[in-house]
Amino acid sequence: MSTAGASEVSILGVIDEVSRHRAIDELHLLESRAEDRFERVARLARELFGVKTALITLIDGDTQHFKAGPLTSVEKIRLEDSICRATIRQEDTFVVSDASKDVRFANDLYVTANNGVRFYAGHPLFAPGGEPIGTLCIADPVPRGFSNAERILLADLAMWTQNEMSVAQELDRAARVQRSLLPKQLMSLPGFDVAGGCAPAQAVGGDFYDWYPVGEGAAFTLADVMGKGIGAAIIAATVRAVLRSGSRHKEIVGSVDAAASILEGDLDEAGTFVTLFHARLDMDTGTVRYVDAGHGLSLVVFADGRTKRLATTSFPLGVDGDDTRREHRVTLLPGDTLVTFSDGVLDLFDGTLASLDEIEKLVRAAPNAQAIVDTLLALAGSNAPDDVTVVAVRRDR
Amino acid sequence: MEFSIVDRDGDIAVLRLNGRLNMVSAGRVRDAVATAVADGRSRVVVDLTRVEFMDSSGLGALVSGMKAARLAGGDLRIASPTEQVKLVLQLTNMDRVLPAYDDAETAFANA
Repeated sequence: MSTAGASEVSILGVIDEVSRHRAIDELHLLESRAEDRFERVARLARELFGVKTALITLIDGDTQHFKAGPLTSVEKIRLEDSICRATIRQEDTFVVSDASKDVRFANDLYVTANNGVRFYAGHPLFAPGGEPIGTLCIADPVPRGFSNAERILLADLAMWTQNEMSVAQELDRAARVQRSLLPKQLMSLPGFDVAGGCAPAQAVGGDFYDWYPVGEGAAFTLADVMGKGIGAAIIAATVRAVLRSGSRHKEIVGSVDAAASILEGDLDEAGTFVTLFHARLDMDTGTVRYVDAGHGLSLVVFADGRTKRLATTSFPLGVDGDDTRREHRVTLLPGDTLVTFSDGVLDLFDGTLASLDEIEKLVRAAPNAQAIVDTLLALAGSNAPDDVTVVAVRRDR
Repeated sequence: MEFSIVDRDGDIAVLRLNGRLNMVSAGRVRDAVATAVADGRSRVVVDLTRVEFMDSSGLGALVSGMKAARLAGGDLRIASPTEQVKLVLQLTNMDRVLPAYDDAETAFANA
C-alpha cells in the first residue's frame, strides 16, 4: 500500500467495506462462479470493444473475484494488484489509456508483466442498495483511447450486469419465501410416517404441498397451479392460505368448496386454475377421506400387493361447470402407503400413465416415506422440465 | 408453435396448431381464439392433430378460449388430440368439459 492508501483506511472506508461485503452476501454472487448470463455480457464486451480481456468482477475485502470473462483458470486476484481498485471508488467509468505511463499503475504486477495491461476501462457495479460491489472492466495490451460513445456503451453493459444480479437476488428471495411456506416435519402423527418434497423447475413454481393437524389426525394437500414461475407461485401461496382457513369445516368437501368459492374470482381474474388433492387422515382408524379436483395422480400401494389409483371426480378449481365435489375414502392398514404427486413426476419416466407402475415399484422398494420423496426428487435433479412435487404417507403400525 | 386459422361455413373458425402447446405458445393461442370470437366466429375448432405436447398452461388457453366462445354464444371444441394431450384432459377431468371430436370437420356437425 502507498501512503495515499494508508489514509484510505478511514472509518468510512471500513463501513464501506462492511456494507459491500453484506451486499455481495445478499446477492449470493460469490457462491456460483461463471454463470452463462454473465459470461454472455463479458463475451459481448470483448467483441464490442475489440479488446483481449473483458471481466465481470466482484470485490470482497482485499480480493477481486472473477465472476465472468477470464480466459485462464484464474478465479481471483489481490485487489491491490488490479486497476479496478481505482474503479470501485468511482461513480462513473474509469479509463487509463496507457497504464505503463501512469504513475499510479506503472509498477503494477499485471502492467509490468510480459504483454501486460496498457489500456484499461472499468465501470463500477452497484448492489440494489447502492453499495459498490464490483466492476465490469475491459483491458488490452495495446494503449488506446476511449470515446464518449464507448463510455456510454460500457456503462450500459454495466447496468445490464447489475440488473441481472438483482433479478437473481429477487428470485432467490422469492424461492426462500416459497420454501418457508412448505410444512416442517414437526407433526405428531403416531403410527404414520410422512414426507414431502418439491423441486420447482424454475426458482419458484406453482406446485405446493401442505399438511397440518386437524382433529385426531391431519390434513394433506398437493396442488398444482397452472403454469410456472413467479405468477404461479403467487397464486399457490393464496390457495394454500385459503385451504388452511377451511380446515375448520368438519366435512372435507365443505372445506374445498369454501376454498373454491373464495378463490373463484381471483383465479378467474388471473386466468388460471388449480388442480388439487386434499385429504384428511384419521390416525386412529387409518381412514383417508379425500377430494380430488382434477389432480388424478394419487396411488395407494397396499402391503398385500394391490395398488389403487385414487379416483378423480371434480374439475380443477377455477374451472366452472356443473360439478359437485365428492368425498372418497380409502383406508390405510399397517404397511400401506399413500403417495400423491404432480404431473411433473410422470415426465421423470415416460410421461404416460405407464409411469404409475414404475412409481408403484419405487414405493414398494422404499424403506420409508422420506426415501420415496428423495428418490423422485433425485430423478428430477436440477433440470426437470416441470415442477416435481411429492407427498408420501406410510402407515407403520 | 405454428398455427393457422381457416374460416369455415360462416361463423366457424378452425385453428390448426402445430408443435408444443405450453407456457410459451399458450398466450398466442388464447389471443387467436379471442380474435376469432371478436370477429364474429364464436364457434371455434382447435385441431390438435399436430400437438405432440400440451401442459397446464396449454390447457388453460383452451379453457379460457372456451369461456370466451361460450360467452359470445358459441363454443370451443377440440379435434383429434394426441395421446399425451388426452392424458392431460383425463387427469384434470377436463375431457368432460372439452370432449374430443374425431376431426375438425365433424366437431360442429351436430350444431
